[in-house]
Amino acid sequence: MKVSLKDLMTMAKPAAELRLKALCKIWEAKPINCFQCMRCTSGCTSLKLLELKPHEIVDLVKFGFIDELLASDIIWTCATCLKCKERCPQKASPYDLIMALRNVTVEQEAKVPEFYMNTVSQILETGLMQNVQKITTRTMEPLDREKLGLPKIALAGNKFKECLMKALGGA
Amino acid sequence: MHVAVFWGCRILTEHYAYEMSVREVMPRLGVDLVDLKSTTCCGDPIKSVSDFAVTFLSARILAEAGKTGLTDLLVPCNRCHLTLSETKYRLDRDVETLEKVEALLGEEGLKYPDELRIWHTIDLLHDAVNLKEIAEKVKIPLDGFKLATHPGCQIIRPSEIGRADESEMPKKLDELVKALGAETVDYSEKLDCCGAALLATHQETALSLAGTKIKALLGYDVEGLVVSCPECHLMYDARQEAASTAVGGKLKLPVFYYTQLLGVALGVEHKTLGLDLNQSPVRELLQKKLGK
Ligand code: SF4
Ligand code: SF4
Repeated sequence: MKVSLKDLMTMAKPAAELRLKALCKIWEAKPINCFQCMRCTSGCTSLKLLELKPHEIVDLVKFGFIDELLASDIIWTCATCLKCKERCPQKASPYDLIMALRNVTVEQEAKVPEFYMNTVSQILETGLMQNVQKITTRTMEPLDREKLGLPKIALAGNKFKECLMKALGGA
Repeated sequence: MHVAVFWGCRILTEHYAYEMSVREVMPRLGVDLVDLKSTTCCGDPIKSVSDFAVTFLSARILAEAGKTGLTDLLVPCNRCHLTLSETKYRLDRDVETLEKVEALLGEEGLKYPDELRIWHTIDLLHDAVNLKEIAEKVKIPLDGFKLATHPGCQIIRPSEIGRADESEMPKKLDELVKALGAETVDYSEKLDCCGAALLATHQETALSLAGTKIKALLGYDVEGLVVSCPECHLMYDARQEAASTAVGGKLKLPVFYYTQLLGVALGVEHKTLGLDLNQSPVRELLQKKLGK
């Protein structure tokens, strides 16, 4: 029987809240300690242009509005700059929380930007996140690794794919 | 010093100038690079999808690195460097996850290494090779170059897991640039993010972030920007035109990988440093300053 990527990702569907708690434990993120000082938001890369306010995400999680967050676009606006994680005095780490929320969204088969799932398929297929790109110089001369004198890429064998499938299913 | 090297997908499949320049400069400074026997993604691009899959993918790379028998691993991409460092930090502490990961690695005949130090280009050059050694090997000093550096987010944060430089006042890249004879400019937007992680899903925002920084830099009369990450380079170099358009300007700023400039100063032929591949006007600046 061939198990599809989608089957794997959705085989186990524990309650969102439980799953989020488990993920927070792994990352040692402590939303409960947040005292709303807003240091995270004041330095957030995505505040101005995408109106991401990390302190609000932490607050919503604290008060149990998890399903609302999973359904919202806002968790996909983080630029992954890690400033909030670095600067939070309470180790609440909005960044880790946002990543955990994204993971749970995938598990719940909710709204995930296509790009991320396409990347998973690509890695499963070739081991790498994208195919080798042909590039051109500023004078439009087409070049590839060989022409540039770079060695062949040593890819992984078939066994790798099997292991990654298992890892995606939570192994 | 022999060092295993993990390039990561982005460098191997697209950002060839970084790979070329690292391969050129390292042996000249006494660092011999050993490629991994098999390479796969570090997991960074799917952090949003599955935490455990990311841990498996990066542990796999650490295991491949261990297989070389070496205890030092160079990871020139900022994002790969973060992901591998995060996984190492976790697996060195979380026995339960380590056991799960080791079971999977075992299926490919791999083993999580007991000892491995993860380096980035910047701390390897700054701390292991050192500034004095670099300055002594400079054949063509970059006198009169007024440059700015962009360290990038992921090699300086989060400091609790150990990063390549200090989180709020990173200085290694500046010191490395100065070791080549150039001047560097301090600027208040230095820690601003390049926006690369948003490029696929929020393109306009990503380009505005990059464009805003380029605009600010030109305001300081900077002649060139120095980076050390393929993603930052993509945003400021290959996407420079689109980034300028996003902020309503016609901006032109030469953008180099540090290892390209280092190669120039060491007297390496420009072609083998991939300088033809930069889309920003790097050749013009070198021509103006060095006459070649
Ligand atoms: S997450 Fe941290 S930085 Fe943000 S408001 Fe809460 S305590 Fe402050
Ligand atoms: S990691 Fe995300 S949420 Fe945190 S400061 Fe950066 S963009 Fe904002």
